[in-house]
Amino acid sequence: MAASAGPALDVAYPFRVLYCGNCTLPIEYCEYHPEHDKCKQWLEKNLPVEFEKLCKAADISTDEAGEEKKRQKRGGKGIVKARKKDDGPKQVCLSRAPRGKKKSVTVVTGLNSFNIDLKVASKFFGTKFACGSSVTGDDEIVIQGDVKDELFDIIPEKWPEIDEDFIEDLGDLKR
Amino acid sequence: MFKKFDEKDSISGVQQLKSSVQKSIRNKLLELYPSLDDYLDGILPKKDGFRLVKCHDHIELIVNSGGELLFFRQREAAWMPTLRLLHKYPFMLPAEQVDKGAIRFVLSGANIMCPGLTSPGAKMTEAPKGTVVAVMAEGKQHALAVGITSMSTEDIAKVNKGVGVENCHYLNDGLWQMKPVK
Repeated sequence: MAASAGPALDVAYPFRVLYCGNCTLPIEYCEYHPEHDKCKQWLEKNLPVEFEKLCKAADISTDEAGEEKKRQKRGGKGIVKARKKDDGPKQVCLSRAPRGKKKSVTVVTGLNSFNIDLKVASKFFGTKFACGSSVTGDDEIVIQGDVKDELFDIIPEKWPEIDEDFIEDLGDLKR
Repeated sequence: MFKKFDEKDSISGVQQLKSSVQKSIRNKLLELYPSLDDYLDGILPKKDGFRLVKCHDHIELIVNSGGELLFFRQREAAWMPTLRLLHKYPFMLPAEQVDKGAIRFVLSGANIMCPGLTSPGAKMTEAPKGTVVAVMAEGKQHALAVGITSMSTEDIAKVNKGVGVENCHYLNDGLWQMKPVK
């Protein structure tokens, strides 16, 4: 690696590091991640060149395994635990809530599970429907006016990863 | 420091800083990391200011206008680069290399013990007590943690017991997992 004293002249900074798409670590540290198998698959798919390099390196290291046994092993577990990912059901729910006697608002929940920025989404809805739209909770957008039917068309159009099947209609909510 | 850090719970506020404060932070960073002299404009462009994210436990983070996390510190300690930044500019910190066996412990947040720094697979660059160092690993190219030496490297070699480098920020901890701040 570059000397700590100063920048190495033959390397252009900022230095670009390849990160694994599965565990976000630099790819050389994937082997210490509990979901190493998934990382391997990801690497094979996305960066086949790097994957081959890693395979070669692994071959060499298995040769050294005999030597490694002699070295004293350290105590303790030291196993990195996988962070719990709450992959709840990926679903967007739409519902209508009454507001006064003849007006209603549309409540959209579940966009967060698709990693959509709620603030951006609410702005988008507001401009699209020319109405008020706000983020009201952890994973909730309230759009003023009944726009549920339009949402069924617009959400898959704006975010192609959300299929229409993922959108559920909860009907009318009571306030 | 970031073992139990969580993006949602631990952030108490984001602040746009006064330009005079920004200037003083910039100067402080240059003082701490003189080798960054030519690159600091690339990291923190003078034109668009940066923000300060205040978190629990007196932790503060510097975030650029794009939301990228750049530096962190606890209380009034020295600013430390995040690993993502360190990977881009690996020369900014003195490197202490640990041996292979220590990697998994460091990755689960353990402090770096002296024997891991003195064994055959390890390498040390000289540093006095209390310096911010990058923790590298045997056979790996990139840093896996950022820490503060709790004794000078000379003492580490001599005593060869106990904590040598205090682990402040490591791969896959709460700060690493944190998404860019909007």
